[in-house]
Amino acid sequence: MAGTLETALVQTLNGVQFGFILFMIASGLTVILGILDVLNLAHGELFSIGAYAGIGVFGFVIGVVGPPSGVLGGVVFVLAVLVSVLLTAALLLPVGTVFEALFLRAIYDRDQVYQLVLTFALLLILLDVKKFVWGNTSLRTDAVYSAINSIPTSELVGLNYPTYNVFVILVGIAVVAGLFWFFDRTKTGRIVRATAIDREMATAIGVSTDRVFTLVFALGAFLAGFAGAMAVPPTAATLGMGTNPLVLSFVVIVIGGLGSLRGAFVGALLVGVIRSWMITLYPPGEIAAPFAIMALILLVKPEGLFGTWGETA
Amino acid sequence: MPERVETDGETRYRFLGVEATRREAVALALGVVALFAIPDVTRLSDSLQLSVIHQGLLFGFAAVGLNLLLRHTKLTSFGHAAFFGTGAYATAVLAKYAGLQSVGLLLLGAIAAATVMAALVGALSLRHTGLYFALLTLAFGQLLYAIALGQSALGGSDGMPIRPGPANQPLLLGTTFEPAVYQILTYYLTVVVILVGLFVMYRITQSPFRNALDAIGQERTRARFIGLPVRRYVWAAFVISGVYGGVAGGLYAVVRQYVRPEGTLFFLRSGDILFMAILGGFRTLVGPLIGGVVLIFLQDVGQDVTQYYEFLTGVVLLVLVYGFPRGIVGSLRSGGVVSTRLRQLRREPSAVADWARSAGRTAERKAVESLSSLRIILFGVD
Repeated sequence: MAGTLETALVQTLNGVQFGFILFMIASGLTVILGILDVLNLAHGELFSIGAYAGIGVFGFVIGVVGPPSGVLGGVVFVLAVLVSVLLTAALLLPVGTVFEALFLRAIYDRDQVYQLVLTFALLLILLDVKKFVWGNTSLRTDAVYSAINSIPTSELVGLNYPTYNVFVILVGIAVVAGLFWFFDRTKTGRIVRATAIDREMATAIGVSTDRVFTLVFALGAFLAGFAGAMAVPPTAATLGMGTNPLVLSFVVIVIGGLGSLRGAFVGALLVGVIRSWMITLYPPGEIAAPFAIMALILLVKPEGLFGTWGETA
Repeated sequence: MPERVETDGETRYRFLGVEATRREAVALALGVVALFAIPDVTRLSDSLQLSVIHQGLLFGFAAVGLNLLLRHTKLTSFGHAAFFGTGAYATAVLAKYAGLQSVGLLLLGAIAAATVMAALVGALSLRHTGLYFALLTLAFGQLLYAIALGQSALGGSDGMPIRPGPANQPLLLGTTFEPAVYQILTYYLTVVVILVGLFVMYRITQSPFRNALDAIGQERTRARFIGLPVRRYVWAAFVISGVYGGVAGGLYAVVRQYVRPEGTLFFLRSGDILFMAILGGFRTLVGPLIGGVVLIFLQDVGQDVTQYYEFLTGVVLLVLVYGFPRGIVGSLRSGGVVSTRLRQLRREPSAVADWARSAGRTAERKAVESLSSLRIILFGVD
């Protein structure tokens, strides 16, 4: 009986961990959708560029810091990994800025289908840029995963659970708290929300919507890169890795409600946990389960759990 | 025989319910002749392959269906590969598990499966419009892809062969043929299906139903106020467009005798189908078909030249979005960009210098604009 309970707990934790990664991707996508009214199909590629670039940055930083030894060494190592993730995500800031300022800005007033085609074109281009830079084979970095796992955390309470996943959950909580703080408490965040509620009115009181758009897009790219770097250590970076998170983010957005940060949070955790439970309960249902929830939500509450975003974060 | 009619001071020709100006009639006749002549033309050169053009026509046919939604209701479906794949997989399943051999029955099965699937997906995703709709269709398409990939009964990532019966081949007219003959005969079958499909689509675009769809596309609320059953009409249009995809997919399976999830259901195929409509010109009837042939041909050539052919496709798309938003047919037809430019050039050859100058000015203005917006982004407005 204890075994079943432990499996259930481990699966739930796995789901929560995946949910946080999903939230980082979906939150950027949903905010871009809510404010710019653009469905960024290239978002999954930004995520996978984060993963590829993350491997490089991890390799460099770990080369400098060295493997962890003792309590202090462990803390330093974890901090170094965090810094690498932030550095990787920062690499994607200019990418997002260029995307918005150079490509998207020219076609806001055109038919929506052109925006879809444009982001689809960027997706195809990024796909081959990755192939050109990192080659056709998958890349992996085992050093980070095994080094962080050598630090005991869950073992202290008698559970055998990888420390890296605990690390992801903790960082995920910090990201969620940071995003809500940003949109609720800071001036820039309020300006962004004001633009989401009423674009013209925001312009009238002196907000530069151009700047807000660029900022939001760059923020989305940053979060996608952050998620990519966080997600890659336990697995490998592959060319096609961007597709699944992209489609699951769509599911998350539909469940949570278009442009709603809170909705993205609830939706991501829901999708993550249920998907992970399915792996033990009924393996073939793993892929279909998120879509089943989505279909259910669509039938019961078509506007999503939290409706549109703006008045509250 | 064609009869002449005068409408609005223009001479038009009417034949089998199709009304066209002289120019359009000639283009139409040439197009039909070209479709039938392609197997002979491809024999002249090794770089032209019948199978490539055939595949282009099939995907283009799916794009014709998608165009009904895109052109009139202004709904962008990003999951049309779902219906293409449903048609293809229905054919494969019927051939393998039900032992059906006749091409006609297989295609009917594909149509039935695609109709059911479109009705289901439409009922769930048409509650929304705009990007939300695009996102939902994409999600449902990926769900089908995931199912095909995960079920061993559907062959997983290896896909399924369509080789029923003792002859290991679907039967055309109850007989088997040599592979080469089979390829050509199925091509002609495709041509006939496409002509019928285009004719039906033409009739739809001449009907009050199309006007209703246009009204819905322009302003939903008003359309509902004047008494149009908006939900039902859009749903009907969605199912029709899905059936086109299903027919194309069923033919694809019969022709290729093999289906893979990657080639039929993957979301990049949905993007391809949407792109074909835009490339050919989504404000026209035959544009998507031409877009399909051109795109598949370009991808095939690109694959031979470089392993980075997705990049090439992406760049073509960018050029299209910024330079030729009306697509190939839209830019070529009278009043389009190309013909206007050509007429100008014939009248005054020095116009080229003017164009170069205005292009230079535009580039300069854009450069200054983007520099100043970059400055504003970085340092703010002072």
